[in-house]
Amino acid sequence: MEAINISYRAMIILYALITVPVLICFFLKLGNVKQILIAVLRMTVQLAAMGLYLDFLFRFNNVWVNFGWVILMIAIANITVNRNSGLRTARMFLTVMLGLTISAFFVIVIFIFIAIRPEPFYDARYLIPISGMVIGNCMRANTIALERFYASIKKNEREFLTYLLMGATLREAALPYIRESVKSALAPHLATLATLGLVSLPGMMTGQILGGSTPIVAIKYQIGIMIAIFTAITVTTVLNLLLSLKVAFNEYSILKRDIFRN
Amino acid sequence: MVRFDTVTVSYGNTSIIQDITFGVEEFERVVLYGKSGSGKSTVLTTIVGAHIPESGTVYFGEEAVNKRNIGEVRRTVSCIGQEPVLGAEKTRDALLLPFSYRAHRGKAPPDEQINRILHDLQLDHEILEKDVSFLSSGEKQRIAIARALLLDKKIFLLDEVTSALDIESKRAVLQLFTSTPYTIISVSHDPDWFKICSRFIKIANGRIVEITATPDPAMYAVNGED
Repeated sequence: MEAINISYRAMIILYALITVPVLICFFLKLGNVKQILIAVLRMTVQLAAMGLYLDFLFRFNNVWVNFGWVILMIAIANITVNRNSGLRTARMFLTVMLGLTISAFFVIVIFIFIAIRPEPFYDARYLIPISGMVIGNCMRANTIALERFYASIKKNEREFLTYLLMGATLREAALPYIRESVKSALAPHLATLATLGLVSLPGMMTGQILGGSTPIVAIKYQIGIMIAIFTAITVTTVLNLLLSLKVAFNEYSILKRDIFRN
Repeated sequence: MVRFDTVTVSYGNTSIIQDITFGVEEFERVVLYGKSGSGKSTVLTTIVGAHIPESGTVYFGEEAVNKRNIGEVRRTVSCIGQEPVLGAEKTRDALLLPFSYRAHRGKAPPDEQINRILHDLQLDHEILEKDVSFLSSGEKQRIAIARALLLDKKIFLLDEVTSALDIESKRAVLQLFTSTPYTIISVSHDPDWFKICSRFIKIANGRIVEITATPDPAMYAVNGED
């Protein structure tokens, strides 16, 4: 059983729905009508492109293309993480790439290659969407963690120096800030885990049920992906923060100013 | 003990301190003074590697401060500011924080030593169980000093260390720093602190203007401008 297709005429009706928020924003003079229209246009173009490349990937289903695509997703996530956390991509690219790749592949290997075991193991139908979900969540968590960590050390330079003067190594001095940053990055995911099925609707599960899976199968996938995502974001935030110490601090363990965009 | 040889530190294109040259002998007590923003605190923190000089060299003993000996420099020097960082919620945890680091692990001082130092600084031992957020600025400063003493620091970089203290506490701190020979490089505007120091370095716009052996009456006027 497959999901019922939505006709193009029905899509026009769905697009017409957007006039409701547009009119509300216009009458409330929120000044964001142009922004909304651009966002909807971008979403349409991005998803259309996604539909095309997923269609290509699923048909082609080549091991190199599939893994190359995963690496490309990680690279884009990497650039987004640095840009949104106010750090210079040129300085942080390699360490963030390493942290994201290790953590993403760690859970992909366990979730897809060991738990699901598709045939072939690189099957794009499993590898691409599941990797995308894992990498997307890692991207958001790393943005929070790196932004909090470096903003906090920059703001509390004297405190950080005090730890060094008490004999702390760079890693020991950074530890209180690492703890806080990882906690902040995990908090939204913990809240989601705790309320899944009560408040938030499990996206993967909904998609699978619409696609014809039984609720039991859909629930197993949902549990699997939630654990995989939570594991990946925990590993990736800690790993990225630790790896970034090497490039973000000078030989005297003092924060370099040129890692920041501004 | 500590020597600056034509040291310049800059942020971007702006020089914070320029061509600073002076030396401090072992057990000497020196004061840096001058208007706010003149670069006094930068001189202090440059010693412990918070800034890498754009030119010139900072010497610690006979050796230039560098990436290999910076750890040792930091283990020998204590830097205490007006609002000291205690780094823990409970006072006892703040005092013992350095002993959680690998460099001092297993060397936590016995209670008797802690109590003796607290007593010398006119602090009641019950303060150990207090939450740090309930301590006054003066108490925080004395806890930071107590922690440095527990670490057996030999050199103190003190930035306005007596400014937040009441008369009694100040007397205790002055007594402590004069009864034991420590090398002290300080920033101060406190006439009582001047009395225990032997050299006075005036800094203006990041440069040393003069070095004198006795407190200059004009110093008090300069301090008044701050």
